Amino acid sequence: MGDRILLVEDDDPLGSQIVGHLRGAGFEPVWWREGRLLVAGDLPDVSLVVLDLMLPGTYGLDMLKALRTFSEVPVLILSARNDTLDKVRALKLGADDYMTKPFWPEELVERVRARLRRPTLQKEQVVVEVGPLRIDLQGHTVQVQGRPVELTRVEFGLLAALARRPQEAVTRQWLVEHVLDPEREGTERTLDVHVSRLRRKLGPVKCVETVWGVGYRLVPGEDA
Amino acid sequence: MKLRLRLALTAVAVTVPAVFALVQVEHSVRRRTTDEVIIETTLSQMQSGGRERCEAAPDTWMVRSRSQRPPWEREGLPSDAPRPNDEGPPRGPMGRRLPPVNLYPFDGQFVSRNPQAPAVDDELRQGVRDDGVGVRRYSKDDGALVQDLLLRMPWNGGPCEYVLARRVEPPGSPEVGLPPLYVWGVPTLILLSAMVVALGPVVQRLRRLTEEVRASSGSGYEQPVTVNGSDEIAELARAFQQARAEIQARMAHQQAREQTLRDFLANTTHDVMTPLTVLQGHLAAMQQRMREGQPQEPGLMLSAMSEAHYMASLVHNLGAAARLEAGAPQVQHAPVDLNALVSRVLGRHQPIARPQRIALESGVPATPTWVMGDETLLEQAVSNVVLNGIRYGREDGHVAVVLETTRQQTFSLRVIDDGPGISEEERSRILERRFRGNAARTREPQGQGLGLHIVHNVVELHGWKMTLAPSEYGGLEVAFTGPLMPPPG
Repeated sequence: MGDRILLVEDDDPLGSQIVGHLRGAGFEPVWWREGRLLVAGDLPDVSLVVLDLMLPGTYGLDMLKALRTFSEVPVLILSARNDTLDKVRALKLGADDYMTKPFWPEELVERVRARLRRPTLQKEQVVVEVGPLRIDLQGHTVQVQGRPVELTRVEFGLLAALARRPQEAVTRQWLVEHVLDPEREGTERTLDVHVSRLRRKLGPVKCVETVWGVGYRLVPGEDA
Repeated sequence: MKLRLRLALTAVAVTVPAVFALVQVEHSVRRRTTDEVIIETTLSQMQSGGRERCEAAPDTWMVRSRSQRPPWEREGLPSDAPRPNDEGPPRGPMGRRLPPVNLYPFDGQFVSRNPQAPAVDDELRQGVRDDGVGVRRYSKDDGALVQDLLLRMPWNGGPCEYVLARRVEPPGSPEVGLPPLYVWGVPTLILLSAMVVALGPVVQRLRRLTEEVRASSGSGYEQPVTVNGSDEIAELARAFQQARAEIQARMAHQQAREQTLRDFLANTTHDVMTPLTVLQGHLAAMQQRMREGQPQEPGLMLSAMSEAHYMASLVHNLGAAARLEAGAPQVQHAPVDLNALVSRVLGRHQPIARPQRIALESGVPATPTWVMGDETLLEQAVSNVVLNGIRYGREDGHVAVVLETTRQQTFSLRVIDDGPGISEEERSRILERRFRGNAARTREPQGQGLGLHIVHNVVELHGWKMTLAPSEYGGLEVAFTGPLMPPPG
């Protein structure tokens, strides 16, 4: 069920730790203890590669270069060196992301997840469903638990802006600049007023979350 | 070779050949004038009655004329002094009397009827045929110089067709060899002593300068050398002073660097050792609880995690500090996506913020925010500010990172917290103070330590602006502003 992940790591304690955490997070890790100059067909069927740059035998960057000649599998680089040049080089060679040692296992798992889910996020959706909310971005209609809700133009714009980036915080400044009517006096205060009206209209479902210091975020919410 | 000896030898080497050359020139000029005078007087003598007397008695005819010595040769010879009415040829050019000359007649076959006449050789014959005058000079065994001039008379035939004028310069006369020593030796001696005397102070000053330079180098270039006057020696002293200043500056710079490095290393060791000790203590305590079958204490675990995290950040900061110290060549300039950077910083600190019940939030634009910079340094800078917010934050507190862009192609990255904040005094001090090695020491919540200094340096290096202000939630708001990367094309 979990994605297969290739880990290339020469250090035993670190390798087994990473393998343990990946397995615990529901992935299926494959561990190589040394770098190999890969040719097409050598690479096992994996969804992502976690590659340590400092490897005996084959230098991580060389391995990455060889890998990129035949595969587009996402590669996450582990680097002990706090050297920007290395990272820039790795990214140029086609690495997708990097992590600097030391890192928390949680951080690594989070990063692997983010990388694996990236492709589906890139599609521009016409209808966004977040929890009980169903937002039709083209038809400008909103339903809460199947019940249509009447929203003003600004309220809908607000909700649509949040719905385009579900689970992500959108800053107040951005919302003020992009959603509020520029003709009228648009301040963050005005924005808060619109948000509280929107929340009231969406009823008992708490989908519009205030993010401390940042702005607002659309979450699946829970029934009150 | 010493300067004085060299100068004296040079003077002698130049003077002696010069004196010889001058003497040679003088001799040759004198010879030529003598020749001319003898030729003239001989001709006039022969034409004014000499021919008749010669042709009348060619066997015995011979004229012997004695001239006065030049005045400078006459002195000291009172008994020999010729009388003023002495018979002799007129004065020659250069105010000199002619030398004693004997005349002998020769016929067309260069044969003389006079038995006392010297023999005529081919050299003379050749000379008289080609130029009308044959010249021969030779030295006798006793050192006397013989000068023979064979002249063709302005008539043909007869026993006196040619006349040989002979002049004998006795040995030791001034025309042979060098002029007397007092003539050239005295000026040469005066010149030499003048040189040596003039050189005296120069040599003295050079010696003093040498001693001073030796003393200065012995004292680690602390001691200066004296500079007086404006001549070449003073110039040399000045050049040494300049070199000394340069060397001193470099030595001071080197020493300062070494001192900084030593301090830095000492402080760093201290700063790494402290959290390591705490971590070891926590691990030991955990092991003890496990052995005794007690449940683990969350506070202990959290503290251990926090110490490990702090150490990682410290080591990264030291790496950043080393690169900042090394300066611009070590710094990369490449496109950096601030959205991804913020996400990484949050991911890194979430595991440490969550157990402390500090909400770590972020808001970034929908599309990547590209800037030019050094990714590692920038990430470290943002990390430091975020970590400060977490470390010094209160329980159930917040730390938020807000990244926004403007239409003027600039960005602003704000890190806001609701912690204790820092006083205005300290805020301005953080912005003013340059990074110093011992800044690494301060680890207390009041002193923001190495972290904020690195932030300040990184921001400065990127040409960004950094402001520290109280946040609207009572804590601290650190804001970075700078230009976005110009869009390609």
